Amino acid sequence: MDLPDQQALREPSQRVSPRAVRMWTVEALFVVAWLVAGMVAWWFLDTGSRDAQWVVGSILLVVSVGYVAIMPRWRFRVHRWEATSYAIYTQTGWIKQERRIAPLSRVQTVDLERGPVAQLFKLASVTVTTASAAGPVKVHGLELAVAEELVEGLTAAAVAEKGDAT
Amino acid sequence: MTEQPPEPFPAPGPEAATGPVPDLAWRRLDARMLLIHPLETLVRALPAVLAIFLARAGSDSDERWELIAVPVILALGALRWVTTRYRIQGGQIELRRGWLNKQTTTARLDKVRTVDLTAKIYHRVLGLAKVEISTGSSAKERLVLDSLRVEQGRRLRAELLHRVDRAVTARPAPTGRPVDAAVLGTAAAPREGGDVELLRLDPAWVRYAPLTLTGLASAAAIVGVASQGLRTVGDESDTIRSGARWVSELEWWTDLLLVLVVVSALAVIAYVLTFWGFRLTRNQLGSLHTRRGLLTKRETSIDHARVRGIRFDEPLGLRLAGGRRLKVVTTGLLHEHGGSDWLCPPAPAAVVTGLARAIVPDEDAVAGRLQQHGPAARRRRLTRTLAPTLVLLVALTAATLAWGWPPAVVAPLPILLLAAVALARDRYAGLGHRVTPGHLVAREGSLDRRRVVLDRSGIIGWKVEQSFFQRRAGVATLVATTAAGQQHYDLVDLPLERAYAVIAEVSPDLLAEFQPSLPEGPGAIDSCRDQPLDSST
Repeated sequence: MDLPDQQALREPSQRVSPRAVRMWTVEALFVVAWLVAGMVAWWFLDTGSRDAQWVVGSILLVVSVGYVAIMPRWRFRVHRWEATSYAIYTQTGWIKQERRIAPLSRVQTVDLERGPVAQLFKLASVTVTTASAAGPVKVHGLELAVAEELVEGLTAAAVAEKGDAT
Repeated sequence: MTEQPPEPFPAPGPEAATGPVPDLAWRRLDARMLLIHPLETLVRALPAVLAIFLARAGSDSDERWELIAVPVILALGALRWVTTRYRIQGGQIELRRGWLNKQTTTARLDKVRTVDLTAKIYHRVLGLAKVEISTGSSAKERLVLDSLRVEQGRRLRAELLHRVDRAVTARPAPTGRPVDAAVLGTAAAPREGGDVELLRLDPAWVRYAPLTLTGLASAAAIVGVASQGLRTVGDESDTIRSGARWVSELEWWTDLLLVLVVVSALAVIAYVLTFWGFRLTRNQLGSLHTRRGLLTKRETSIDHARVRGIRFDEPLGLRLAGGRRLKVVTTGLLHEHGGSDWLCPPAPAAVVTGLARAIVPDEDAVAGRLQQHGPAARRRRLTRTLAPTLVLLVALTAATLAWGWPPAVVAPLPILLLAAVALARDRYAGLGHRVTPGHLVAREGSLDRRRVVLDRSGIIGWKVEQSFFQRRAGVATLVATTAAGQQHYDLVDLPLERAYAVIAEVSPDLLAEFQPSLPEGPGAIDSCRDQPLDSST
């Protein structure tokens, strides 16, 4: 509008670890495994409706293959993050995408989290919460060392701030 | 790192010794609560008592074993009185409860956000009030004192809210020294004279009661309670039977009219019960204070330092009748804690707007024109109402053709289609935003239109969300996150560049860092400290 120079916002500078693609693939396989288990159960418990089962099964197959093949790569292309001395900026999602910016002065907690799959790939995610219940800022699929460094930096910056950050 | 370590208050040091002794001593609930507890138990157990009474009426038995319950209830109440104590010390309020299972709840005074006084009818007979102290936005962060004498409760409230006042301590709360209760106890207790009255309920506003969903919901609640009561009396009663027969013999439109009249009357009763004597005042320190209620009286005090904005509600019915209502956006009020955020019950728009001007002196934010979100947003409103309607239309038409459903099911669909278009147009008309020097204004909705005026300093982060279809349309939902009210307020379907322009306008340095052309420098880091986003006042 009246701020011609400032309209655009560049992407956050850092990509997540390339191993995140494999991590998301494994996670997607787990989701698909549940669906397949449900399908198999239906196949053996209900022998009367083979036609419907073929239709649902083939749709499931296409969706699952697409999900496992596309989601991790798409997500890797979108996921980016950047932390400066007074703000954290992330870009996440795949079909639905979002960018989040939070000033470090409003940060309340910084968590490092490693799920079982993430541990397998030596990855970690960092969650930054503010005083608002809406929208913790999350960065998934970081190298462990990078994540630890990020947590340290964020904690130091946030401790320096006074007030209750509301 | 969420909580800073408590400041070393000069607790039982020399200052405290010269200070008032009662400040440090444990205080008890008022002894008259001994009557409240059995009374409450009795009310709760009323159906059981009635059942026993009715059963006994038919038999000659002399046994009165249920009377054993009476001393037990009395003893429980007494135990509660003996074991519950509270005190204010070292910048904290402590509440101790329990006999075998002792519980101590502690809250820092500078975390106290709102103090509610509630007096149900039996409290009022005894001159008591229940005091609820809220320190956060979850139910756990709440101290309940049931009950204190009303004056005692008000005094406590003054102590709690005013000692953390920044005008008094001159610094943000955590670094300020507590002010002696003796100084404040009488001087700063909310007195009628020292307060500015901002609003007083005009009984004529009751006419808005049937036009809001809240009114209808409370009408439904009253019906529920009443029908339960009737069931205890028994549905075999002749009056009810003949009444039901009379209603079922009437024409359908008379029935409809009857329902409307009854629902309206109930909504009016609910309005009167909730808002009778509604009064909004502001004391000399800026805290907002509401009183309301016909039978149950409620008083809510909101520390002005916690207020982050206001919200106008204009549900369709109310809007068509030229009314609106006002709520406060503040940290520390429970979402589910019904209605302690009311600043004005449904009332004429001019009155509400005037009140809003008095609370937020920013004419553009309160009543200024808003910027619309553009053609893409309008298209999306239309697709969102038309698509489901068309799907329904196709499905029902197919059903009539394939399975021979009666054509009557398709007949009302053209009207539905028109309604969908009208709704979409009204939703687009409602969509708007504005950035003023002090506030971010966002409006949306048709059936439940809201206009939120949010303090810029209350915004603690941003989100820019784009679904697949939003990306194709070049629009985004801009979300301002905050610690107050709903925790986030959304500007829906804003053109993408406008979304970034809004962020740039409200928090320029936050965005400047991530812009391609502007180089970063130490100067930017320093200047960011002075920006609105970084100050917590």
